[in-house]
Amino acid sequence: MKRMGFLIILLLILSQGLFAAVGCDLNDPDRDVKRLFPSSTGYKAYYMSITQKGGKALLAKVEKRLGDKFTGLYETADVPYTIYEIYKDKQVTGYIHGVNQKGQYGGIQVFLALDTKGVILNLYYQKMTNQAAKSFRSDDFAKQFKGLSMKDFASYNPSTGKQEGSLAKIKNPAVKAEKDFKATLRGVKKNLILMQEFGYIK
Amino acid sequence: MSVNNEKIIEIKDLKKIYVRGSEHIHAVDGITLDVNKGEYVAFVGPSGSGKTTLLHLLGCLDNPTEGSLMVADRMVYCENKCMNERDLTKLRRELFGYVFQKFYLIPTLTVEENILLPFAFYQKEDAHKNAKHLTEMLGIAHRLSHLPKELSGGEMQRVAVARALINRPKILLADEPTGNLDSKRSAEISGIFQQLNKEEGITIILVTHNHHLAESAGKMVELKDGKLV
Amino acid sequence: MPSLFGIAWKNLRRKRLRSMLTIVGIALSTWVLVSLLGFNQGYENSLNKDIDNLGFQVLLTAKGCPYEAATLMLKGGTGLKYMPYSIVDSVKANPQVEEVTPMLMQVVFDPNKGESGGVTAFLGIDPATYPKMKTYLIFEQGKWFDKPEAMEAVFGYEAAELEQREVGDLYLLPESDVEVTVVGVLKRSGTQDDGTIFLPVRTVQNVYKLENKITSIGIKVNKETDLAAYEEELYKLSDVQVVSMAQVKMTISNLVATARVMVMSIALIAILIAMVGVMNTVLMSVLERWQEIGIMKSMGAMTSHIFKLIWFETILLTFVGGIVGSVMSWILATVTDKLIRSVLPYSPTSALVQIDVLLALKAIGIIMAIGLISGIYPAWKAAKIRPIEAIRSTDGEL
Repeated sequence: MKRMGFLIILLLILSQGLFAAVGCDLNDPDRDVKRLFPSSTGYKAYYMSITQKGGKALLAKVEKRLGDKFTGLYETADVPYTIYEIYKDKQVTGYIHGVNQKGQYGGIQVFLALDTKGVILNLYYQKMTNQAAKSFRSDDFAKQFKGLSMKDFASYNPSTGKQEGSLAKIKNPAVKAEKDFKATLRGVKKNLILMQEFGYIK
Repeated sequence: MSVNNEKIIEIKDLKKIYVRGSEHIHAVDGITLDVNKGEYVAFVGPSGSGKTTLLHLLGCLDNPTEGSLMVADRMVYCENKCMNERDLTKLRRELFGYVFQKFYLIPTLTVEENILLPFAFYQKEDAHKNAKHLTEMLGIAHRLSHLPKELSGGEMQRVAVARALINRPKILLADEPTGNLDSKRSAEISGIFQQLNKEEGITIILVTHNHHLAESAGKMVELKDGKLV
Repeated sequence: MPSLFGIAWKNLRRKRLRSMLTIVGIALSTWVLVSLLGFNQGYENSLNKDIDNLGFQVLLTAKGCPYEAATLMLKGGTGLKYMPYSIVDSVKANPQVEEVTPMLMQVVFDPNKGESGGVTAFLGIDPATYPKMKTYLIFEQGKWFDKPEAMEAVFGYEAAELEQREVGDLYLLPESDVEVTVVGVLKRSGTQDDGTIFLPVRTVQNVYKLENKITSIGIKVNKETDLAAYEEELYKLSDVQVVSMAQVKMTISNLVATARVMVMSIALIAILIAMVGVMNTVLMSVLERWQEIGIMKSMGAMTSHIFKLIWFETILLTFVGGIVGSVMSWILATVTDKLIRSVLPYSPTSALVQIDVLLALKAIGIIMAIGLISGIYPAWKAAKIRPIEAIRSTDGEL
């Protein structure tokens, strides 16, 4: 019972310290950074939200570029994003940035490892729940995103889900999970737009 | 009112001895004296002659060491037996009014409240009527709402006199009432005392160094080393 | 006509700063006293409310079954023991029992959780009885499922945040291919329900092949029931463990008792300081007015008058200080609450310090009584002044 009391107090303290909106950051940054950027020597984390960076105007701009409205409790203008700036010695070699994206079974967290020019080096699901999650998390699937950048996603329209140009070759790993596949594409596009709007990539 | 032969204070062989270490000081040393109703008596003598101590004994403010004291037919002190504190208080309320050199007004109370102070402790009819009469007679009626610090020394002493007379005492005891006043104010107080004695018939006993004041009294009693001269 | 009370009042105004400081001292002591009395009253109420929020006075679990989610998580979901559903009926048979709610805790491994999977706990509940017992659970979104075998889930606030679910979302039950729809998200309640995922008990039984099994039963008994006797009776059922909320309450109370003693000692010290403060102020004032008091006695004041006069001064000081302190404690109740919370090992969720008019009056009464006691010595000292001593001396002495 003492433990329950302790737990309640802990919960209270923790919950009061939390942001109103649920953010998206790496569960174990030290480990995750090393895995996504094996040659890195360090990183710095920056926190940013749409509200803070440009308010309603920025939200409208992001939504227009995305071709879709923000929806739900976990995709709002005040979600705090964490941008990890990756260093090799004193040189910035890239970024890791994740976004919340609504999937078939609740939220998906789509993380991208980018080089300094904004080219995708890797894709990582920190959180995803579906029967085929394993195939989404596989290296084969992630590989298909390698080398793509904002210009490849610019014309992608999440409402139609039509894959054109260089996106056409990305294959859905599980037919049953079509919804989560489309959600991934939307999440990646949103991720890249935010990185541009926050001024980290061109 | 003239002096009659009715005795109001009778003392017999009254002694007050202070013990200071091994020394015995005979402040009052076997005085026998009567004061008649309506008399105006002044105690004179050098400093340390025992006149103030005698005044305190007569006013029942202090207990004698030996002898007897009778006030208005009541035995206050006799053969080492003293009236109890409660009866003494009642006696003071009924018979005495006191005026001191240092006035002893309460600084937080107004002139009117200072004059009426005794009635915080007991009730008396026509208190207000008497207050009005006294303040008019003493010329302080226009100062009633003032605080003591706003008054002159003469005014303060007149307030103290009014306070001493508010309970219509039979005997007014005054210890150096003009000691803190200039000659003009002293003469005023002296006049007031004579008026009180003649018109109101109050028995007055005072202690003074002031010749004019002493001379205005009907009877002068001189003391030296605790004895009558 | 001057009154004793008026004289006392005017005298306090003579040395304003000193009177003010004394009043501040008394006010601070009253603040401490009111707050602590309020705490005594509030803590008890608040704790009772927390326990009542559990909805049941007795929890029956299978022998050896951990009954709280925290233990479950720490143990990694092992060691769950079950009772047959039929036990619900035998418990219900007792006329003392008002309401019974069966629960089935299920812990599963979710491979999608975190990096290498993790444990998720569900609580299977009976939609007909559970919500009635937990009336304090309020919905952020949606509502409870209404059918006992609905393929629906209700998320506690923290659970919803962690899983990023809102009403209408689907949830895939781990270790199965079964989807349930999220129909409700609860508001934060500050209890362990915040981290719980609720499912209908039948659904849990069906999905995880636990037909006719439950892990615990919440029992609400009549108000007249002798709990201790009833608990004894429950032990007659085989292989059960009885967790009494009364026991829980006692454990917490014991934990808090130490802290309470400490806090009360501080209060006592505060009161003693105020007492000495009052005594000092009034005694000083008596010594300064030695002659005045002597003159009053020569003018016919009895010993009792002087005693009363000085006592009125203490009454006035403590009365004003008591009122100021009570108002202060009412205004600062939230601050006091936080302050006390920081020293206690366990604090209930609702207000710890409950201050009402009656309590404030009680505290003022106590403070005035203390003031009166501390006023006795100075008053006695003043009352026994003899007129002649006062006239002869220039000042009083102890």
